[in-house]
Amino acid sequence: MKPELMLFWTAVSLYGLSTFSYIFGMIAKQDKLFSVGLFSALAGFFPHVAVIAMRWSATGISPFISISESLTLGVFMTMLLFLVFQFSTKKVRPLGVLVMPVSFVLLGWAGTLMKEVAATLAPALQSGWIWVHIVGASAGFASVLIAAGLGLLYLLKERNSGGIYEKLPDLNVIDVMAYRFVSGGFILYSLMMISGCFWSNQVKGNYWGWDPVEVWSLVSWLTYGIYLHLRVTFGWRGKKMAWYALIALIAMIVSYWGIPFTVETFHSGFRIDHN
Amino acid sequence: MSNIDTPSGSEPEQYPIEPRYHPIHKIPRKIYDFFASARLAMALLVIILVCCLTGVTIVRGEQAWNLIFNSLWFNALLVILVVNIACCFFGRIWYRKLTVISFGMILFHVSFVAILLGIVYNSLFYFRGTIRLTEGEVLLSGDPQSYDIIDKGRFFSFSRLKGETSLIRVNTGYKIGGEDKRAAYEVSVGEEDNKKQGVIYITHKLTHDGFDYFNDKEGYSLLVTLADRHGHELYGAYLPLQSIKQKDDSYLYATGHKEGSKVKASVVLFPAPPVKPLFAMQLAYQLSKVKERDGVAAFELYALDNNGMTKDGPPYATGKAAIGGKFAAGEYVLSAKEVRYWVGMMVRYEPGKTIVLTSLWVALAGMIITTTGRMLKSGKK
Ligand code: HEM
Repeated sequence: MKPELMLFWTAVSLYGLSTFSYIFGMIAKQDKLFSVGLFSALAGFFPHVAVIAMRWSATGISPFISISESLTLGVFMTMLLFLVFQFSTKKVRPLGVLVMPVSFVLLGWAGTLMKEVAATLAPALQSGWIWVHIVGASAGFASVLIAAGLGLLYLLKERNSGGIYEKLPDLNVIDVMAYRFVSGGFILYSLMMISGCFWSNQVKGNYWGWDPVEVWSLVSWLTYGIYLHLRVTFGWRGKKMAWYALIALIAMIVSYWGIPFTVETFHSGFRIDHN
Repeated sequence: MSNIDTPSGSEPEQYPIEPRYHPIHKIPRKIYDFFASARLAMALLVIILVCCLTGVTIVRGEQAWNLIFNSLWFNALLVILVVNIACCFFGRIWYRKLTVISFGMILFHVSFVAILLGIVYNSLFYFRGTIRLTEGEVLLSGDPQSYDIIDKGRFFSFSRLKGETSLIRVNTGYKIGGEDKRAAYEVSVGEEDNKKQGVIYITHKLTHDGFDYFNDKEGYSLLVTLADRHGHELYGAYLPLQSIKQKDDSYLYATGHKEGSKVKASVVLFPAPPVKPLFAMQLAYQLSKVKERDGVAAFELYALDNNGMTKDGPPYATGKAAIGGKFAAGEYVLSAKEVRYWVGMMVRYEPGKTIVLTSLWVALAGMIITTTGRMLKSGKK
């Protein structure tokens, strides 16, 4: 096996181990297992970063283009945010119980779709806007995934008590934390949309064309815009918002990687193709 | 409820938040109340979300554009939404203390309205055209005949497009700082004393007098001449070729036309009307692997009936000749003399775009200000 693939699957395995530790920690109410989960996530992060670095240095072309690379970046941002959040506050230790399984599955999926590094970058992608765009999209995803994780903990704590649930912050603190992550995610999504508009304006001269990728990102943006308004103008809190965050996460994964990548968005016309 | 989550902090709120500002008269008030309803806003947002989802799943592509995104009712929904946002938000924020948080929100919602105004203004004055040129060709910019496709706002005037548009040369394999831009067009636009010349490629446009020029598509064009047996040239024309993808993923460069989204090989009349055509011709070009703008041209000639229509059946003459070489068919001699590029260029004039694009940043700034304001406030507690 090539070193790149070996590292990749090591990262996936460690995230898998972390996933099981968190889930069993939850079932057995053993918070020591959360530490195992956190440290195996940290251990998996190193090979994960190494894979990205190796792909990047192989050709000098940013390895964030294909669906597999995009998933790898999305999980990278999630892990980065998750680890920073976990090591800077010790308040919500079981957070990985949603974040890790999702990351594990997405990265494993990326592995099955992995291709060789591209040799050239299509001219339309040779733009500075692509950086703002992919950072906004992946970091936005990371934030709303963590918000959904907090939503799940909210719902669990509401139904259970004692043991690990005692150590969790108060319900309304979890609720506000989730709201913070959605607000941050919404700003990042806005950044993704704006840079996408500018990028399209640079390449095609129009900032919006109702092209499938554009509409899908509008869907994710509207979903969280509605979340914020349910909160600030309708006063929704707690349980309803927690459910919303969880369901919206599914919508997010579908609208990012589920469908847009399978449709052809760049109009094929009379352009000369020199093989 | 903890104080942190109360939207405006100092004042406790009833949910849903109700407007504070009301017109006095009855009828304007009815209209206002309708637009200032937060339920209407939510309903609109959800309907728009559902339309978007439908437009990328159940119906797609061109169909979605025609049925949903370009339809009057969908655009009307967007307009109603903005009017609704304006009434909703400003009615509620009225008389409220100006804080970092509410200032950010005001910026945010104002820019939403500005975006709509920019779009409406743009829709009255815009111009979008596709102009097709062969290397060396010069067309009048202000003549609608120069464009293949034209789309324009009610108040756009062609007198804005001054002078000429010309394609000087196409450079393939154009590189900038090691990045392959594939095709770059050297173009010149404008009139005598106000001319601009430049190179355009996929991420680089040319701007002149408010008009933007973008590269769009390009193809080969063969100069085909018709001579008699004695070598007297009778006629010549550049015939643009289309690139047509084959089953084995290779490309055929041939005369053709577009049918829906597919490009199909087809014949052209030669000479082209208004000159009287002698036959219909299918022309194909095989690139030389060693030399740019060289290769072999393949001809297929079809007879015409009395009405000038192509007769069914096989071609009456077929043959090949290198670029610059000759192909004799009956009493005529055909020659593909040279290879040039033709390009399709997008010409756009969008005066409202700056408002829209600037407002996007203002909106983002507003959001960041509001969020920062909230963080600061809860940090103090
Ligand atoms: C797509 C359209 C809209 C978007 C994206 C949007 C976005 C936002 C954002 C990001 C905030 C700040 C939320 C926060 O504090 O975290 C906000 C606040 C607010 N929005 Fe909108 N808005 C939109 C339309 C509307 C509409 C239709 C209404 C009318 C009901 C409205 C009324 C408000 C009000 C009253 C606030 C302030 C709430 C408070 O007092 O804290 N907005 N909006």
